[in-house]
Amino acid sequence: MIEKRRGKLEIIADILRSMQKKEGKIKPTHLLYRSNLSHAKLKEYVNMLLEKGMIEEKTIKGRKMYFMKDQGYKFLLEFERIKEFSDSFGL
Amino acid sequence: MVFDSIPYGLPSYVFGPNWFYGFDSIIEFIAIIVSILLVFYSHRCFKLTKEKKYLYFSTAFLSLTFAFIVKIMGTLAIYKPSITRTALGSSVHQAFTSLTPYNINAIALVMHYFFMLLGFMILFLIISRLTWKNQRVIALLVYFVFLAAWISIIHYQLFYLTSFVLLSLITYSYYQNYKEIKSEKARFVTIAFGILLVSQALFVFVIYSRIIYVLAELIQLLGFVYLLIPFILIFKKKPKKPKPVK
Repeated sequence: MIEKRRGKLEIIADILRSMQKKEGKIKPTHLLYRSNLSHAKLKEYVNMLLEKGMIEEKTIKGRKMYFMKDQGYKFLLEFERIKEFSDSFGL
Repeated sequence: MVFDSIPYGLPSYVFGPNWFYGFDSIIEFIAIIVSILLVFYSHRCFKLTKEKKYLYFSTAFLSLTFAFIVKIMGTLAIYKPSITRTALGSSVHQAFTSLTPYNINAIALVMHYFFMLLGFMILFLIISRLTWKNQRVIALLVYFVFLAAWISIIHYQLFYLTSFVLLSLITYSYYQNYKEIKSEKARFVTIAFGILLVSQALFVFVIYSRIIYVLAELIQLLGFVYLLIPFILIFKKKPKKPKPVK
C-alpha cells in the first residue's frame, strides 16, 4: 500500500511526538532517525520550531540536546484533538 | 395539524399537540447549540490546517443551524401570537402587512426544508469523499435539494423521506468509518446519526398522530446529545506531559 505523504503539520507533530516519547528531550541524531526526514529538511523544521518557541536547544555535558517547551505540548495537544475530531466525524 | 394557505395556495403546518408548543423550540435550540459548537470548532480547524474539508463540514452544520433558527422563528409566530405586538414584531408586521402568522410559518418551513437538506447533502458529499472536481455531480445533487425542498411544500413527507435517505447514507458511511478506526468517539457519531435517522423516519408519519411528532422531536434531541458526546470527549483530553522545561 502506498503511504500518503505527510503534510507540514503532520511532520511537526511527528517531530514533537518523538521528543515527547523521550520525556521531552532528544539528541539531534535520535531525532533525525525517528523523524524520517533528510538532514537538511530536519534542520529546516527544527529551526522553525526554535523560532516558534516550541522547542529549545541546550548543551549538556558538551552535547547538543533539544527540549520540548510548553508551546510544543500545546501544539501537540491541539493537533491530536483536530486529528481525533477528523477521525470521529469521518473527515 | 394547523392548516392554512400562503399566497401561492400552499399549506403551512404545525404538527405538535398544544401542550408541546414551545418544547419543540427548546429541543431545536439545543440542536442549534450543538451545531454552532461544531461550526466553530471545524472552522477553527480550517484556520489552523487550511484544509477545505473542515470548511465544508462547518458549512454543513451552519446550514443545519439556519434550518433550526428559521423553524423556531416560524413556529414562534403561531405559538406566541403576542410577539407581533412587540416593537420588532409590529414593525415587521407594518412592513409586510399581508403576512399572517401562518404565512410566516409556511415561508419559514420552506427555508427550514432547504437548509436541512442542504446541510445533510454537504455532509454526505464530505464523507463520500467527493471533491470539487466532481462539480457536475455536486450541481445535480444541489438541484435535487432545491427540487425536494420545493415539492416538500406540497407533500411535507417528501422532505422527511429525502432527509431519511440522506441520513441513511450518512449513517452507513459513519458505520464504515467506525469499523475502520474503531474509536469510541466514532461509535458515538455513528449512533447519533442512527438516532437522527430514526427521528426522520417518525417525522414522515406525524400527519397521522400528534404524539408521533413529540416522539420524533425527543428522539432528535437524543441524537444531538449523542453528537455532543464525542466533541466533549475530545476536549476532555489533557496534555500527556505538561511540565515546562526548566
